[in-house]
Amino acid sequence: MSYIIGSDVVRYACTCGILKPISKLYFCRHCLEVRCGFCVCHEVDSHFCGKCAENLPSSEARLKKNRCGNCYDCPSCHQQLTTRAATVGPKNPEDPKATPRKVFYLLCLLCRWSSRDVGIPDQSAVSGGWPERENIHANRLQEIQDMYKGIVLLDKQQKLEKDKKKQRRYMSFTDRTGITASMLRKRVGLPDIPHPLLKPKPKEPEPAVAKEDVEELPEELLTKPVNLCEVTTMEQRLVQPEWQPITVEKLFPIHKQLSVKRSQRCRSCEHNVSKPEYNPNSIKFKIQLFACFHIPEVRIVTVEPLRAGKTCELLLKFSNPTQHQTVITFLPVTLEMEETKISEQVTEDKSVVDDYLLEKKQPLSLTGTGSQPSSLLHASLSRQPSITVKPRPIAVPVVADITIPTSTFILPPRDDAAEYDDSGDTHNIQDDSKLVIWRKSNKAVVKLQVTPKEDLKIGDEVVAGFTMQHIYVNTITTVDNKEPQKCEHKVKVFVTLGNLVGSE
Amino acid sequence: MPLYEGIGAITDKLVVVIDIGAAYTKLGFSGEFSPRCIIRSEVKCKDTGRVRNIRDYENAQDLYDLLVDFVHMLYFKYALLSPKDRPVVIIESLLCPTIFRETLAKVLFCHYEVSMMLVLPSHLVCLAPLAVDTALVLDVGYTEAIAIPVCHGLPVIHAWQALPIASQAVHGNLKTLLTACNTGINSISEWTIEDIKVRCCFVTTQKRAQEFSKATPEITTCLEVKYPLEGSRTLTIPGKVRETVYEIFFEEDNDHQCMSTMILDAILKVNVDLRIKLSENIVIMGGTAMTPGFKNRLKDELYKQLKSDRYSKLKITKFKFHSPPSKDNYTAWLGGAIYGCTELLSMKGLSRENYLKENRLPDWANMKDNLRTL
Ligand SMILES: [Zn+2]
Ligand SMILES: [Zn+2]
Ligand SMILES: [Zn+2]
Ligand SMILES: [Zn+2]
Repeated sequence: MSYIIGSDVVRYACTCGILKPISKLYFCRHCLEVRCGFCVCHEVDSHFCGKCAENLPSSEARLKKNRCGNCYDCPSCHQQLTTRAATVGPKNPEDPKATPRKVFYLLCLLCRWSSRDVGIPDQSAVSGGWPERENIHANRLQEIQDMYKGIVLLDKQQKLEKDKKKQRRYMSFTDRTGITASMLRKRVGLPDIPHPLLKPKPKEPEPAVAKEDVEELPEELLTKPVNLCEVTTMEQRLVQPEWQPITVEKLFPIHKQLSVKRSQRCRSCEHNVSKPEYNPNSIKFKIQLFACFHIPEVRIVTVEPLRAGKTCELLLKFSNPTQHQTVITFLPVTLEMEETKISEQVTEDKSVVDDYLLEKKQPLSLTGTGSQPSSLLHASLSRQPSITVKPRPIAVPVVADITIPTSTFILPPRDDAAEYDDSGDTHNIQDDSKLVIWRKSNKAVVKLQVTPKEDLKIGDEVVAGFTMQHIYVNTITTVDNKEPQKCEHKVKVFVTLGNLVGSE
Repeated sequence: MPLYEGIGAITDKLVVVIDIGAAYTKLGFSGEFSPRCIIRSEVKCKDTGRVRNIRDYENAQDLYDLLVDFVHMLYFKYALLSPKDRPVVIIESLLCPTIFRETLAKVLFCHYEVSMMLVLPSHLVCLAPLAVDTALVLDVGYTEAIAIPVCHGLPVIHAWQALPIASQAVHGNLKTLLTACNTGINSISEWTIEDIKVRCCFVTTQKRAQEFSKATPEITTCLEVKYPLEGSRTLTIPGKVRETVYEIFFEEDNDHQCMSTMILDAILKVNVDLRIKLSENIVIMGGTAMTPGFKNRLKDELYKQLKSDRYSKLKITKFKFHSPPSKDNYTAWLGGAIYGCTELLSMKGLSRENYLKENRLPDWANMKDNLRTL
């Protein structure tokens, strides 16, 4: 289970050239290629609040500025705030019928910050109605923004006008000088004549006026001692960018930021390789084309002490995660990505984007991936075709050679029930006993010979690699292909075997 | 792009505005008046767990990978939006290295497939929230302080002044000064140093600074601060350090340059008839400018420099300062958010199709013409 805790001694090369453990890879069943988080297209699927688990449609999330309306974070330590109830005496203590009232305030259970600390009045309802702060400059900024919109729109209209005139081969004074009439008028102090076709220009706010006075140095900084508990930290300031309080009494509860569920899409075929369920409480997926469900997993069982130039034994365990029998073949590894079809398309000129190409969205050449589901066709109306990343060379120093066995071996399909069956294997597989030394249900251990390079020094990390070819049964049925398709899929596997030890 | 826009509702005018600073990145949406978040410009490397600033790149490939991770975080952790087929506004310093802007464009267009990118120079757009078109802009950020005059909506590039006196220099100086009275300062992280600076230090007055520079100052310093470090350790921040750590801004270097001369030199390089207008329209932005006492001191230093022979020909008698409707660390972002909701995006933005066709990013020097109408 080493991969679960993140040790990546066995890494697979993604189609894009990045090495990742199998747990971090996807396998696109439509392209029959390995994909990873780097080379898929991430998309925001749904917004939800991590505290109250409320699902918000993206339009509502946008309206609420990606924050939950009901949950708050502590402005002091950024943990979640809890609503606490308190009882206050009746308004009129003389009146025996008056019952005590319940009031609510916000409290941080971690740092004990409370909405009472900063003088926010207690609320009579649990859900709050907590006061919101307004940007004091909002009105003026809105005016300025409208003015800029107006100016740019005017400029755009004038440009269009100018283009029209140009077509009529008409030369105006402004065309020759290159400044717009409106600018010219401003310069000579004439009022701007509004264009009859344009809406009247919005009232322009006055430009800001600079003052001779600036903020003075607060006198108390020189005379009074500093109580660090009262001065906010940088984090506390920046978490409220609009206000950036300097002292703690200006802290204010923060609406909790929403989280998103993401889906991942293959950039070559636009199919999802991972799509979560919409419900924030669900940890399940609608689509989960994870590589560990489709590609045989390799684990290191043991390796003899590694010595420079000496051949030693390496035992690897293969397991088949699929419901179909597969055949594993070893092939030598090459570090260059032999994507000939891509290099042919890329032109030779040195440009910024020569690593990328716009994929032509034509039916893919691979069999079995023919037509696309109608939902995708619909989606493609709003989506531009993806740009495909040209694979980068694999950056791993392979410093040991694995002797590639000539024979292949079979891995039976996974059978969950067999895990509990101790009655011994009944498989009838003719194995090359030099290669396969152990097998049980869908797993097999193979013996390989590995030779670290001569020039290695003691302590150097030894990495070896091979290409694993396995038979993949594609169960996607299409209009032309009703039967599952068998195909050979190759993936490069790199094993980190440990450090070189001394010679004897 | 037009087809997608036509279908509409999904995208309408949701424009992400990003200002990637050397220390902090400001991110938000156009048409809003403050950024949604201000976060450190750094990413955690997935393999090594090491946190790296995105400007600490080794080469273009390294920067590309850093930016891929960083932009992923910006969109999926903060903006909560798919970048694909959506426009983006980038605020950029005039001194942004070519490798950085080109790699960023490549990441946004090729990896994240944004539909449109509008790059705006920070010194120009910061004037939008003020609705003025002529001002002297001083940006004091993390690595450097940059002064550029903007006249009638056009940055006067040949007049720009830049000095490496900003946050980073203060951090270095603070470390040096603290070493004298504390041990183990070198092992303290940059962010802790920043916290000490922000919570304890300030820019003292000119009068007191002059007194401090004497051999035997006849003033009492402000009180020292005991700064608790992790565990039981406590740092002593002497009063003099608290007051004088920013003095490096105002001490002239070997070329007789400092924060105040930068502003005056920039004004000197501009036409005579614009000088008074510039001196009476000074805009100060950048996180470091938020330090208590900074603006006051800069004003006093400007008047002091004015008396020297160097600037006698300036014929300036007074300085006036703007106070933008924002915190100083996001003034440029706010300008970008205002520009971002205008038609400028569709008029001057670079579309993905054009980027892929022409394989180049318009140099910002070409953009000055593009923006002159504002
Ligand atoms: Zn695919
Ligand atoms: Zn990949
Ligand atoms: Zn909530
Ligand atoms: Zn708290």
